Amino acid sequence: MLELRNVWIKYGKTVAVRKLNLTVNKGDFVTILGANGAGKSSTLNAISGLVKFKDLRGEIDYKGEKISGLKPGAIAARGLIQIPEGRKLFPLMTVRENLEMGAYLRKDRKQIAASMEKVMELFPLLREKLSAKARELSGGQQQMVAIGRGLMAEPELLMLDEPSFGLSPLLRQQLAEKIKEVSSEGETIILVEQNARLGLMLAKYG
Amino acid sequence: MPPAGIWIDGLVQSCIYMTMAFGMVLVFSILGILNWTHGQFYMLGGFVVYYAVTAAGIPFPLSLLISGAVVGGLGMLVEKVVIERLTSPGYGILSVTAATNALIFFFEGAAGMGFGLMNKGMATVLPGVLDMGSFGVSYQKIAVIVFTLIIMVAMYIVLNLTKVGKAIRATSQEPDAASLYGVSVKWVRVIIMGIGCALAAMAGGVIGIVQSVNPFMGRIPMIMSLLAVVIGGLGSLTGAIVGGIMLGLLNSVIAYSISYYSEVALFMLVIILLLIRPQGLFGAAPK
Repeated sequence: MLELRNVWIKYGKTVAVRKLNLTVNKGDFVTILGANGAGKSSTLNAISGLVKFKDLRGEIDYKGEKISGLKPGAIAARGLIQIPEGRKLFPLMTVRENLEMGAYLRKDRKQIAASMEKVMELFPLLREKLSAKARELSGGQQQMVAIGRGLMAEPELLMLDEPSFGLSPLLRQQLAEKIKEVSSEGETIILVEQNARLGLMLAKYG
Repeated sequence: MPPAGIWIDGLVQSCIYMTMAFGMVLVFSILGILNWTHGQFYMLGGFVVYYAVTAAGIPFPLSLLISGAVVGGLGMLVEKVVIERLTSPGYGILSVTAATNALIFFFEGAAGMGFGLMNKGMATVLPGVLDMGSFGVSYQKIAVIVFTLIIMVAMYIVLNLTKVGKAIRATSQEPDAASLYGVSVKWVRVIIMGIGCALAAMAGGVIGIVQSVNPFMGRIPMIMSLLAVVIGGLGSLTGAIVGGIMLGLLNSVIAYSISYYSEVALFMLVIILLLIRPQGLFGAAPK
């Protein structure tokens, strides 16, 4: 489904990713482990189109179509959705608005409402927080919104960048279970983690 | 205590500064630049309304909308042709600052050539005075306040209740995340420049009811709205509104009290306020 061939990412003289080959098939759960600065986030950003074209070498194909060089919006429209590092919620917008932004490219109102309901079922705690601003939430709640926002896009491939970052061990455990739940529904997932235990516990291969 | 008429005059000025400052902050929050040509979009808005009303006989409210559309479109063109390129990586902030400053003289010169250098005043759009007992307020001034309120309510609706508005707010808060979910940041930049310039134009159009228009009318409102933005806190829309209201009222009241020294006193007050609170009233504290 997704194929990275001989991908290099270079910011000026700094090489962030060297000669990466990666294949992800439908329904896979792939974990990319590595220390800080190993190029994990850069890899996801390259897939999402956030890495500038001049900094990128190699090929990224999705369902046989070359996607390297496309704009982030065009890549999102193909169903490749990233939940970025540090959550990157819209802090001054409400939880509901954050979730709605996940469905920005969708037009089917009924289906969007159904997705919203699904997110509420996955994270029941968010239901009473819908009117709260994202910045008022705790770290764990923010991560729920970030994942919920990603799911609102109805992704074909979900990329999670260090979702456990800054969370307590208990919250990490709960988060892992939620990610497992999403994965068990057949979602294709790439997970980037520094936390090897969490990453390997979830992955089919890494 | 200054008489009520002075407060009303202050409020009329507040309306202009507030609308302009709001547009300026919108542009700053997305493009990350101060648009130094903001005052000239205000001036062009004034001329569009003047000619729409006097030459074409178009009703004032419709003329105001036309000025927003025409000048907003011009602002979008400026973003696409000049600002987008000069804010791309590799260019320093000075390039775009110089370019938007150059545009001040370009638009003033062009307006001078096209419309003449003399003051142009509309015939009274709304004659009559509202009797408030001890003082009267002209319907013209009330119209400025009412139109400004309508513009601000419309902005509230656009920013909070429409999809475009949400995309704009999301982009101003987290541009990368917004683009990950399909928002075209380039397009949002163009739209926001259009809205910002349309706000400046409508402020210039509204003031045309009570003041005459000329090619240089944008300079002082530009400085005042810049001060309003800085007082309110760069990047804060609430700050732009409060800063604009404060500055308009203060300007009018101080001018009444100490006439010639009013500007010295006003700017001194602004500097004292910034020394006490450098981030402005509603800005985030520096990290």
